[in-house]
Amino acid sequence: MDRYCPADLRNADWPMAAIRLLELLILLAALAGFTGLLLRRNLFLKVLAMDVTGSAVVALFVLLGARSGLRTPILSRLANPADPGLAGADLADPIPQAVILTAIVIGLSIQALLLVVITQLARIDPSLDASSFDPPDRP
Amino acid sequence: MSDAWSPGSPQLVIWLLAPYLAAFTVALLPALSAPLILLCGLATALLGGWLLLGGSGLQLLLLGRYGVSLSVDGLAGWFLLLGGLVCLAVWMEGRRQGWDRTGWLLLLVLLGALNTSFLTTDLVSLYVSLEVVAISAFLLILKGRSARADWIALRYLLISNTAMGLYLIGAALVYSQSGSFQFTALAALPPGAPLALVLVGLLTKSGVFLNGLWLPRTHAEAPAEVSALLSGVVVSAGALPLLRLEQLSPSVTALLTPIALASAALGVTYALVVDDAKRLLAWSTLAQMGLVILSPAAGGAMALSHGLAKAGLFLTARHWPSRSLRGWSSRPLAWSLQLPLWLGALSIAGVAPMLGFSAKKQLETALSPPLAWAVLLLSIGSVALYTRLCRAPWDLTPRAPLSWGALLLSLPLLIAGVAFSAGRVTVDGLVKTFTVLLLGVALDQALERLRWRERMALPQLDRLPDLLGGLGLIGAGLVVAMHSGRFSPLLAGGAL
Repeated sequence: MDRYCPADLRNADWPMAAIRLLELLILLAALAGFTGLLLRRNLFLKVLAMDVTGSAVVALFVLLGARSGLRTPILSRLANPADPGLAGADLADPIPQAVILTAIVIGLSIQALLLVVITQLARIDPSLDASSFDPPDRP
Repeated sequence: MSDAWSPGSPQLVIWLLAPYLAAFTVALLPALSAPLILLCGLATALLGGWLLLGGSGLQLLLLGRYGVSLSVDGLAGWFLLLGGLVCLAVWMEGRRQGWDRTGWLLLLVLLGALNTSFLTTDLVSLYVSLEVVAISAFLLILKGRSARADWIALRYLLISNTAMGLYLIGAALVYSQSGSFQFTALAALPPGAPLALVLVGLLTKSGVFLNGLWLPRTHAEAPAEVSALLSGVVVSAGALPLLRLEQLSPSVTALLTPIALASAALGVTYALVVDDAKRLLAWSTLAQMGLVILSPAAGGAMALSHGLAKAGLFLTARHWPSRSLRGWSSRPLAWSLQLPLWLGALSIAGVAPMLGFSAKKQLETALSPPLAWAVLLLSIGSVALYTRLCRAPWDLTPRAPLSWGALLLSLPLLIAGVAFSAGRVTVDGLVKTFTVLLLGVALDQALERLRWRERMALPQLDRLPDLLGGLGLIGAGLVVAMHSGRFSPLLAGGAL
């Protein structure tokens, strides 16, 4: 399985166009999530659409970390004297990855809380139509 | 920024972590709730007061260049004092309402997250603390235990999480362009999509203009003590970062000014026509948050005076005979409720010796003359809407129970107001204030005749699609305003 050796990735010229394309796709996914949130009538689907946006944000941070390379940034490998060329530009940026880990946990817990409340609301309107919960009174 | 531990920083970190530790202790040993909440609330209020009285600030960068950056300064002092006092007042009222250990746990977690969000100056720590604020506020709203509370809480968390998702995209773009998550890095970038996304998130959190359309119903339907927390401090958690960004970059101020004024106008208009007293207070919060973010020089004072007054007003709401403003003037209110109600109303309306008067004066001097006149015009509306609340006759039965929580919040308005304005009140200023007062009362009388006609009703703006549409509209408006290159208020306003 020579193809998957990181040595190939190390010197691979990580093309800028690919990153731009991925970035565009991710932003499109975020936009799709927001549109779904706006247009779907069902509350459950609205929460799923919110999760689509959330996943797009996670993907954006992962892409951000991968701009400088794909290799895991762990220092013990870098210190290997037999392979001095490793401390180059092929290491992934750990900061966005560390940041997004927190956001994933927060997103998951919010998702869980929303779904619990939705099960409560389903007793009132099992079809979960969002407009049926907005009271029709004056502002 | 100091990289190492500077004097005072270990104590600061202990103070930041104490509410969380106290929260979990209270969950296990509810008997300790009173001393722990008292300790955490007092420590927060005292730190805030000390910073305001000229205590030396502190800039901290924990865990290296990419770590958590904290700024303990005078601007944060206003908000810390507000947070500490409101939490103590809510604790006093919560004890009377028989809150259990879940309530105390959530109150302490909320206090801890608010403290962090007031001090932090990097986008990621702010994101985390704002999300913790949102989750604990969501769980507190659920204490209402009704289907309506469920729906309101769900809506709140859904909107707030969507806005924070957009904010995170903004933060990612800031990092990709400048390699840092600090506020200073964002302010140094040319205005563009990153700034617009971050602003949309923060405007939603602070409840300003179309991004804040979730606010009136949420704050009106929550239980009274929770409304006090939400309207008093939770919205300020989004406003302080906006003020910090305005301090760093004048173009942010130019972008936010039209939105802030529009928010004040929208809030006042709706508060003048609603027929539910709690809804009136909530729409007024939307208006006042607009005024808070208008100027970084006066934002702290405005937030403190508004937060104390509004939390005090909401705390009295539990004991009102009815929430409906129809026939408000025929239902007498006990003097123990009237006292905090009048103190709060007079302060927000900006009447002479109260803290709200000094704050509004500070705001007017910080603004350019046309903006100051606009604020003066809006305060006529504020006076008119609080006149509606002050119509109830006084019931002077001597044995009415005092609401200590509401008094804890409204008495400082009077005391600090007198201390602040002593020697600074000019005849010119007094004449101006009383003209505004008279015009406001006259406006209220004029509107009272029109108010109950069915065709005068304004459109309902706070259904779920409206809230989400508001987010998109303001975001797109900000981007258009930035790319049109110039920041004249007219242009930015037209783009919205």
